[in-house]
Amino acid sequence: MRFKGLAAAALAALPLLAPPAAGQGTQLLYLAEDVPAGLDYDGPAVTVNTSQVGFINMMDTLVDYPIAGENDEGIRRLDFSRFEGRLAESWDYDAATLTWTFRLRQGVKSCAGNTFTADDVIYTLARGKSVSGTAPINWFLGSLASIAGFDRGVFTGGSRELGDAVEKVDDHTIRIRQSASNNLFLTVLTVYSMAPFDSVEMRKNATPEDPWSHTYANTVNAAGFGPYCLERWVKGDEFVLRANPDYYRGRPQIDRVVIKRVPQSANRALTLRSGQAQLTQRLTAREFEQLSRARGVRVAGIFGNETLLMGLNWRTPPFDNPKLRQAIALAMPLQQLSRIGYAGQARPWEAHFTEVLNGYVRPEAQYPQNLDRARQLLAEAGYPGGRGLEAFPDALRLSFTAERESYLGPLATAIQSALRDIGVPIQLDPLPQTQFADRRMVKKDLPMSLSDTEKPVGPDVVYATRLFFVSPQAGGVNNITNYSNPELDRLFGEAQTEPDPARRAPLVNQIQQIVQRDLAWIPLLETRTQWAFSDRLSGLTWHPDNSLRLFELRLAP
Amino acid sequence: MIGFVSRRLATALVQLVGLALVVFFAIRLLPADPVARLVGLNASRDAYLTAQRSLGLDRPVAEQFGSYLGVLPGSSGLLQGDFGRSWVTGDPVAQEIGRVLPITLELITVSFVLAFLVSVPLGMICAIRPGGAADRATFAYSLFAGSQPEFWWGLLFIFVFFAELGWAPAPLGRLDPMSTPPAVVTGFITVDSLLAGNMAAFRDGVHHLMLPVLTKVFVLSGPIVKMVRQNMVRVMASDYVLFAQASGLTPGRIARIALKNALAPALTLLGVLYGYILGGAVLIETVFSLGGIGSYAVRSVLAFDYPAIQAVVLVIAAVSLLVYLVLDLLHAALDPRLVG
Repeated sequence: MRFKGLAAAALAALPLLAPPAAGQGTQLLYLAEDVPAGLDYDGPAVTVNTSQVGFINMMDTLVDYPIAGENDEGIRRLDFSRFEGRLAESWDYDAATLTWTFRLRQGVKSCAGNTFTADDVIYTLARGKSVSGTAPINWFLGSLASIAGFDRGVFTGGSRELGDAVEKVDDHTIRIRQSASNNLFLTVLTVYSMAPFDSVEMRKNATPEDPWSHTYANTVNAAGFGPYCLERWVKGDEFVLRANPDYYRGRPQIDRVVIKRVPQSANRALTLRSGQAQLTQRLTAREFEQLSRARGVRVAGIFGNETLLMGLNWRTPPFDNPKLRQAIALAMPLQQLSRIGYAGQARPWEAHFTEVLNGYVRPEAQYPQNLDRARQLLAEAGYPGGRGLEAFPDALRLSFTAERESYLGPLATAIQSALRDIGVPIQLDPLPQTQFADRRMVKKDLPMSLSDTEKPVGPDVVYATRLFFVSPQAGGVNNITNYSNPELDRLFGEAQTEPDPARRAPLVNQIQQIVQRDLAWIPLLETRTQWAFSDRLSGLTWHPDNSLRLFELRLAP
Repeated sequence: MIGFVSRRLATALVQLVGLALVVFFAIRLLPADPVARLVGLNASRDAYLTAQRSLGLDRPVAEQFGSYLGVLPGSSGLLQGDFGRSWVTGDPVAQEIGRVLPITLELITVSFVLAFLVSVPLGMICAIRPGGAADRATFAYSLFAGSQPEFWWGLLFIFVFFAELGWAPAPLGRLDPMSTPPAVVTGFITVDSLLAGNMAAFRDGVHHLMLPVLTKVFVLSGPIVKMVRQNMVRVMASDYVLFAQASGLTPGRIARIALKNALAPALTLLGVLYGYILGGAVLIETVFSLGGIGSYAVRSVLAFDYPAIQAVVLVIAAVSLLVYLVLDLLHAALDPRLVG
């Protein structure tokens, strides 16, 4: 009796403790696995997707891509073959002098109320070339775009001053000179790490030790000309943005966005289902599937640039043997991998590039699972039934990041089992993320690796080629498998400089045929970039950095 | 008593210095590269080298250690009370820990106090009649609560009290994310909201603390009840209790005398558990989206954020040593012989 009385009293007290109802109308609660750790795109947090969401929505680039309709799930796509102005209104190119002239938009105001001018672009590129940040991404992109002076010389005693590569014609006109003809120039300008800073605000926060305000940008505010301004930021907890009322494309429809860190995907799913949040992502395949049946919730996605691949090191025998590579590709249980890792939502990746990239063609060489053919190729490679492979115990080790063992582990096991079926015995070798990155990126000595982090933010086949397949001697950047083919390097050079799209297309086509024929890596699956969101929310658009533009979202009352 | 406290503080200081040394060199022995983690998988070698230089990792280890301690000219380190800046966020580590530590301390302190208040009477009731209904029920409960990991209980409570019954708020941290938090004074939401006179935030804070505290108390109470019960049973069978009974003292007075002796081991257990749970709070913090010191520690380790790892270890050790000191003082109050 006494217990019942206590319980009744406790229940009666609950309404007193209940918080006020969650925000409605034009407030959006976005549940993420983390909130931005830093806001400087040349800073240490730049590679973290959850950090990119911050500065991407607070800054704007000179150019971007137009919307090109939506897929059958309602996710809008961009047309990567065309560009449209953002902070730049128009531009032209003088091939004789390798010079781009940009006419900048007038009357654009930052969150601090400063007006956008040519000085902001100059400041941004000068800051990039100073390579003073922890991760000099702006310089890196400038070098990909062949901006004059953005070369490796900055690290070997060369000038870190901008010099005459960028010239201010007037307050709203600027010229940027290239060191060589390069078609990737505008593609590079769409990437977040080329977005102009509000130089007035940045200079205000400079110190003698930190003249380029990296600490300010990283820890206090990304001062730019974007649609949202920072209201509140508690690292590791929440990130609150408020609409920039002066945004030049119009005030954002959603006034306030609260990005809340909810590390448990189950809790993100549960809260979205309860109606208290309107948007989330990075759930498990099963959670997405369950949410798709929940009332008031939608799940939609797109095959963008997220993939799963296996790298085989070209410098590590026996993987320098082309027939062995083909045998391995033909043994891959792609449907099984899709079921195990992605609840059947992934699809076999039939190329080294994803379909959305500008210039994509489906290559002729295909490797659907065929164990008989795989065994035959293995024998032709000199290892009938796998005999002889025991000489390479150190090479036959499949590495992946141990932190993601929960889902990469089962995939690796399935690959191990499939390879055993054709007589290729491999061991699994989960490594800590840091060690994995060091060996793959710096030492480049991982013999076999399983990864899903290759997502080119420049949505162009030529851009991705330079990133992943061109040899370092020809300007390759992140060729993780040490793939080297002079013919490919030559085609890349021509494709990068060929101004005529009609003459460029066959070169781009050949590039794709060659890497697929050679198996620069073993493409496995294309995976979906997905979101779960309130059915009142619309306007979700896929961008190559996999971050949503909050400005594009619409929340119905 | 002052001598006793001074001796304990001096010992604690030596322990902290030793720990600082070990942690600094131990994390540098790990076979991993923090620079690669920072600049990302797609960075160029130039970017890598720049990052390495900016973090000071291109310098000899001895020089890095001198800088960490703050003994090199112009450097600021431990001696100046400076933990350095986080390599991931760029913020001063002391500031970050000042933000996350109160979240965990508030949760586990409230949980420990409640668990203690629940467990001691429960343990005493069990001890009064060993093998009785209350004893059997408590035994079953402590076995049940302790047999599952606390994150599992947390998820279960969220499912029942939030998703099904709607009594608890969404597991989204210390406050409703759409509300405005009180100004930070102590970092403890309940205290800060009271200081600001913001009763709505106080109610919201308590409401959000409800499920994590319930989870902690549910799991923590099991071992404490058992400990109190065992000690009470032992003490109740001792000669001086028999003598007290023979002298005709009231059962209440006898229980008070017995409890004083039975509490000492339970307090020791609390102290050990407090330090252990402070370092391992990440599970409960993850389940309830509380960005406390546990999550911070794990994030720092995964990112190889050396300054943050070093500071977290020192701070958790310092808090644990402080708790042990308080417990020693309590022990000394319960048993004055210990002071000598």
